[in-house]
This record gives sequence, C-alpha cells and structure tokens, in this order.
Amino acid sequence: MIQPQTHLNVADNSGARELMCIRIIGASNRRYAHIGDIIVAVIKEAVPNTPLERSEVVRAVIVRTCKELKRDNGMIIRYDDNAAVVIDQEGNPKGTRIFGAIARELRQLNFTKIVSLAPEVL
Amino acid sequence: MLPSSTVLSLAGAGTVLTVIFSGELGHLKAKCSPRPRKVFSRWCIKELYLQQHSINGFKSKKQNSLSSFAFGKKAEDSFFSDVNEDTDDMYEDLINNYGKVVFSRKDKKPASAEIDDDAESLSFAMELASVASEVKAADIKVLFVKPLVYWTRFFIIATAFSRPQIDAIGSRMRDRAEKKYGKIPTGDTKPNSWTLLDFGDVVVHIFLPSQRTFYNLEEFYGNATPVELPFENQPPFRS
Repeated sequence: MIQPQTHLNVADNSGARELMCIRIIGASNRRYAHIGDIIVAVIKEAVPNTPLERSEVVRAVIVRTCKELKRDNGMIIRYDDNAAVVIDQEGNPKGTRIFGAIARELRQLNFTKIVSLAPEVL
Repeated sequence: MLPSSTVLSLAGAGTVLTVIFSGELGHLKAKCSPRPRKVFSRWCIKELYLQQHSINGFKSKKQNSLSSFAFGKKAEDSFFSDVNEDTDDMYEDLINNYGKVVFSRKDKKPASAEIDDDAESLSFAMELASVASEVKAADIKVLFVKPLVYWTRFFIIATAFSRPQIDAIGSRMRDRAEKKYGKIPTGDTKPNSWTLLDFGDVVVHIFLPSQRTFYNLEEFYGNATPVELPFENQPPFRS
C-alpha cells in the first residue's frame, strides 16, 4: 500500500538510496499502489558521484511491499520493507543489478527485464 | 547442641533446595544424610532428621511447587525427547520406504517429459537464433539458464546496431514464432535500446552495443551453459 509521501528503499544499483512516492500512475484518483505498479517518485537520498541526484523526479516500479501480496493458490508474501526499482520512460531499469528477492508477478506485468536482473524470484 | 544442629539442618535444607533445583529428587537422601553422619555422632542423627523434616515441612509449599516444576520439566523433557525420537524414526522409515523425497507436487512432470520440453525449447531457441542471424544480429548467444532460474529455460542474447535493425529482428522473430510454433511473445512491442521478447520458455534480449556492455547479462548468467550455434556467428563489432 504505497501512497504519495511514502518513503521507499531502492532495490538496485542506480545510485538512489531512498525515494518518496509523489504520484501513482494508472487511474486519475488512485489511492494505493502495490507490487508491479509504476509510481512517480522523488529521490530523497542518493549515493554521491552517481548519475542520479537528490530531489530528482524519476519513475519507479514497486518490487516489495510490507503489505501482503496474495496469490490465487493461497500463498501470501510479505516483505520487510517497501522497495522500488528506478526505471526510465521506456521501462528499462536505470541500474544494472537488482538486490533482494522479488515476486514473479512482475513478469506477468511485463517487467521481465527486472526479473532477469534479479538474484532471486519468489 | 541445638543451635549447631539447626545450622546444619539449614545447611541440609540448603542442599535439599539445590537438589530440588537440579531436579533430581531421588538423590535427596543420599546427598543430605551422609554429611551430618560424618560430622556428628549417631545420637544426633535422629534429631537432625526431625529437624530436617520440620524444615522440610516449613518449606513444604516451596518444595512442592519446585518439585512439581521439576517433574513438569522432566516430563516436558521426556516428552520432547520422545517426540524427537518418534519423528526421527518416522523420517527414517519414510526415507527407507520412499527415498529422500517425502513430499512432491502432484503437477510435477516426469523426467522424460521434462527432457522432451527441454528439447522442444532448444529447437525453438535455435530457430530464433538463426532468425537473428539472418537479420545480421551480432554476437548471438544462446544460454541454457534452467539450472539457474526456474522461470525460463533459454536466454538468447543478441546485439543489433540500430533501432530499425532491432525492429526487424523483433518482428521477424515474432512472425516465425507465430507461424511455426504458434507462440506469441510478451514484452516490448516497440523497438527499445533493450528489447525483450518473452516466449515463456525462451526469453530473447536484443541490445544496442552500449546497452549490452552496460547491463552485461552474460556475466550475470556466467554459470549458464552456452549452447553451440550451427551457423557462422558474427563477431561483436565489425571493424
């Protein structure tokens, strides 16, 4: 359940460390975003000497949420943190590697690039 | 004589308490009785015993609770050890009867079907790789990634030198897959600097040269077994 003003960790090596959601892309008055949704976010904290800087506005895909993700087979996945991967306008990830486990739902949502860079797919 | 015996009996009570704490009630007498016998002559033993009894009676509440605790703990321990032994025996029996796998999914395919699927995917991947070669994609690599990731079997990584070429490779692959195998890919529909076509068992990555070095997928999947290609592969950069 990501909404504007939610702070998220960054799960890639793009150079951003922390994001703050400012808009959810989709419907006009959408309240919450879940795993696999694209958000517009502002970089609150960045690694020095990287292409991404603080207070830059980027797009990101949510890859982990503290809110449970329910599957049809009854499996429930809940992560310890809210995390996102920074992408560009074309949908390519800005980083070259993803950190941590991600859910396989991202593949169905056409984020196979993120899945193929991830070390573990749940 | 009375004060000394009291002191001793207190000491005895102390031993009683410690014994109870250690949870060995059976050794109670053996541990307390020899000690006064050694120190005092026989005539005081009776009194000492009486004293001990009175003190035991005085502390009876505590002792009872402690002893019950001890028994409870003992019982628990024995319960757990029984369970462990039981489960160990159970697992041993299961392993003896059914081998090491005690749970398997019902929808799992037999090994022969898996091999057939692998062969089918391999032929499909080789077909797509040859399509890429026809449209002059460079540095084509087919990787068998099934041992590394569960979600696909083969990766095809190819380099194209311009977006029109990426478009040509992608559209040809789509056409061939649809005509010959009836598969429709998901993934990018427009040419992109990293175009990805997801056919399920085969995932095709078409990169521009700069993107290919940037993402360096071959290194990430370095443990995957590369598949030999039958056609002449073009070198990565034309000089």
